[in-house]
Amino acid sequence: MAKLSSPSRRKTSAIQSMAYTAIAGCLSLIVIFPLLWVIATSLKDRRQIIQNPLGLPEVYYWSNYADAWQEGNFGTYFINSILVVIPTALGVVVLSLLAAYAFAMFRFRGKNALFTFFLIGLTVPLGILIIPIFYQMASLKLVNNLWALILPQTAVGLPFAILLLRGFIQELPKEILDAGRIDGCSNWGILRFIVMPLSRPALLSVMIFNIVWVWNQFLLPVVLIQKASARTLPQGLSVFMGRYGADFGLLMAGATISFIPVVIVYVIFQRQFIKGIAAGALSGI
Amino acid sequence: MPARSLFSQSALPPPASILRWPKEVSPVLFIVPALVVYSGFFIYPLVKLLELSLYKWDGILARKFIGLRHYQKLLGDERFWEALSHNFYWMIAAIIVPVLFGLLLAILLSRSSMYGSIIFRTIFFMPQVFSSVTVALIWQWIYNPSYGAINVFLTSIGLEQLTQGWLGDSALVLPALFIAWSWVHYGFTMIIFIAAIDAVDEVFFDAAKVDGANLWQQFRHILLPSIRGALTTIILVTAISSFQIFDLVYVLTRGGPGDASMVVPVYMLESAFTLRRVGYGATVAIAMGLVIVGFSVLFLALRGVYKDEN
Repeated sequence: MAKLSSPSRRKTSAIQSMAYTAIAGCLSLIVIFPLLWVIATSLKDRRQIIQNPLGLPEVYYWSNYADAWQEGNFGTYFINSILVVIPTALGVVVLSLLAAYAFAMFRFRGKNALFTFFLIGLTVPLGILIIPIFYQMASLKLVNNLWALILPQTAVGLPFAILLLRGFIQELPKEILDAGRIDGCSNWGILRFIVMPLSRPALLSVMIFNIVWVWNQFLLPVVLIQKASARTLPQGLSVFMGRYGADFGLLMAGATISFIPVVIVYVIFQRQFIKGIAAGALSGI
Repeated sequence: MPARSLFSQSALPPPASILRWPKEVSPVLFIVPALVVYSGFFIYPLVKLLELSLYKWDGILARKFIGLRHYQKLLGDERFWEALSHNFYWMIAAIIVPVLFGLLLAILLSRSSMYGSIIFRTIFFMPQVFSSVTVALIWQWIYNPSYGAINVFLTSIGLEQLTQGWLGDSALVLPALFIAWSWVHYGFTMIIFIAAIDAVDEVFFDAAKVDGANLWQQFRHILLPSIRGALTTIILVTAISSFQIFDLVYVLTRGGPGDASMVVPVYMLESAFTLRRVGYGATVAIAMGLVIVGFSVLFLALRGVYKDEN
């Protein structure tokens, strides 16, 4: 934004700017065209799809949505996904904030060893642990239970969240923390009334990254959830996809149902999304 | 209540009282909840994975200790090596295609005088928030042999001979899957590049322009050296995440046709749960883990080096 007013920027002509905008507009079709085409397909019946696969629907066939919603059980899947995402994201944020606070602010015996212990989690992806996790959940009688998704995803989300929050808390201005200490705040009070409010941007990044990651997680439910009533949205969508493989109007209605809410939330919170995902994706998981 | 001086950050060394019981115990208590969950549901499965790989087990009946025999078997398993080679092809393509495209977009959005760059950034990043199953569904439709956008388009412009059964063709299935994956991943590289490019001081570009540097020279001698740290990060993160490719392949082809798109994570699941060779599946997982851990350690080490630039 500041750059726009720099001398070199002012000299570029409007024609040049328009040309660049046109290039970006053409490239953005890579994203926009598939989405619009999916939506167009979802509004056609079988005859229109076969006769005119690429064009806009001549008659809008809204019943695909009602059918997909019913046949696909998307209502149940949405609720299950929400029931997994909320405790996982909250669990990661709360547990990692507590741990990061201790790692950032205190000296204690074994601190470096403990921190290194958490860093192991940054190098091993969740996917390769799916086999032992399945047998662990089987012995805990948690297969087909949403906790089978919540517990491992909370655990695997912790290392990066701790690393990120520890870095953030270490950068907080010492004067404010010292002031809190002089005012007689306990460790808990400093965390609650000083560190937590000041760390809000970092906490938000951690939260959003985990929400997106858990919402989209597919491998874990595929292995751990076999009961239809406990499926999450991506898993339910893949089952739906297998069952109605040839009914494209219905399938694309299902696809649209799955991405429209995400797109709406993303567009509203896009700044936080981009920050959170970029920060989280750097963890490599 | 005595003043607590447990802060490691204070300029003075902490007083000796820090090691006395009531005060020393409190910071560790903050870590205990995270430690319990992390140990119970991450470290425990990790140890269990190593253990499982030493046993022959069908997942139901009694298991039998066989030492390192699964590892021996893995070395001679052609299906595993073929799957692993697919992962490596995928990874090499991944550190070229979405990285270059992301860089191109980042330069366009961040360095050019275009209008509405925030809006375009929002659009370009959007696929990144979709679940991979949604992406799979979209691309299955695009690749559909009869009514899919690609074949219908090729037919309509008279290039009918180029139409293909994309996902059903053993020579094309991997590139086709890769394109669907890239459709998501470039958004990530773009965002990191934009952050890195925005951090470069405008003064350098102005100086270069005064000296008569053309666009290529500005890119080569100013932009590229300035974003080297980001580039290292992007390449390693892309390598790590692309090596774990699972969702798209599992949903769209399950490794088929034949083993043409078989990748190690799909092979791992097939061994452990479809073929009921749990110990062998665990061994496959460990082999994959070793590659990823190698890259991750390299990444963490280099990230320490380039810390300021990220």
